[in-house]
Amino acid sequence: MTPAREAVYLPLMALTVALLGGLRIGAPVVLVPPSLFALVLGLLLMGVLVQSGALAPDRLLSESRPPLANVNGFGVLVTLFFASAQTFAALTPDSGLPRVLFSVYFLVLMLNTLAARPDRVRVLQSLAVTFGAAFVLNFVVLDALSDPEGGRLKRVLQVLFEGITLGVLSQPVHHPATGYITFFAIVLFLVTLSSLPRRLPRPSRGLTVLQPADHDRGQLPR
Amino acid sequence: MRETVVRISGLTITVVYAVLIGWLYARQPATIAEVTGGLSAAIGAYHVDQQAFEDGLQFFRRDQFSEARAAFARADPAQRNSRTQFYIAYSYYRQGWGRLYQDDELYRQGIEAVDRAIALAPAGRIVVDDPTLRIHTADELKVELDTGMRRDASDLNPLRIFRERK
Repeated sequence: MTPAREAVYLPLMALTVALLGGLRIGAPVVLVPPSLFALVLGLLLMGVLVQSGALAPDRLLSESRPPLANVNGFGVLVTLFFASAQTFAALTPDSGLPRVLFSVYFLVLMLNTLAARPDRVRVLQSLAVTFGAAFVLNFVVLDALSDPEGGRLKRVLQVLFEGITLGVLSQPVHHPATGYITFFAIVLFLVTLSSLPRRLPRPSRGLTVLQPADHDRGQLPR
Repeated sequence: MRETVVRISGLTITVVYAVLIGWLYARQPATIAEVTGGLSAAIGAYHVDQQAFEDGLQFFRRDQFSEARAAFARADPAQRNSRTQFYIAYSYYRQGWGRLYQDDELYRQGIEAVDRAIALAPAGRIVVDDPTLRIHTADELKVELDTGMRRDASDLNPLRIFRERK
């Protein structure tokens, strides 16, 4: 990994995710900090990344590295943690039953991934699918179900839907710009994850292949 | 050598960016003007538009409170000046004051403005030496607004109609 990626690109990308993930466009514009539960999920995601090899902490922090490089590596870890937490916070609905369901879903998913011990590629693929699905549910499906504007038929269906669900699924509708910004933040977060220093394969301690020339040099037992 | 420069530059940029994000989350600026005003205030470069402030004062003294607030908002777009925010709060108080009742919505906005003014003032102390005012400190103004918002038995006192606007 180049020093520029470790010291500049990764922290800046992670901080941008942390900034944009909390942005809620409206009147007024609000920056929502991650909830305590989102912090827990962020920590679990860090654990998943380390376990799968998508993140190798020893390539960011170790005794063999110069102190300045370790400070840069620590910066990557801290900013990545906040980016992770803010991504979960951005994808979790603001209130009601959907908030509970999404929170439980994310928690179970993280614990399940920790138990399954997938490799780096599968973790990244899984996260892309999970975040993409959560984005569609939160910003497309729930918004469509909660949007008070529309024709008479739509409003009738909404009233029926709210009656059936006792109103627990209705959410404050996001401003369209919030959806675009969150989408960009998620993509940037996935790019950040794929750019992290991965665990390198350990040097082989198995058989050493000797060539016939070694036999001639007397390096093979007779 | 080049690597050290890159690492130090990256660290500096990261710290500055992180502080900026922390400041944004803490301050919650709602407009770009508040962002730029807050940042310039942080380095001591923020100034109130004196002409707009004087215009606001003229409107305020003629009891044109909506116009006064518009001028004060132009003078202090980032809401970083405690004196201007004090006058904005005072305009809400005077506009919302009534001999028989107060306008709760205006009083609520007045409380928000006076809270902003107190938060911006050094040690939270604001004293405005303006002879045309009957309330000269933010503390008195806040108590006046809070009292107006409260519901109690004194609201039924018929002698209330003899009280005067401050």
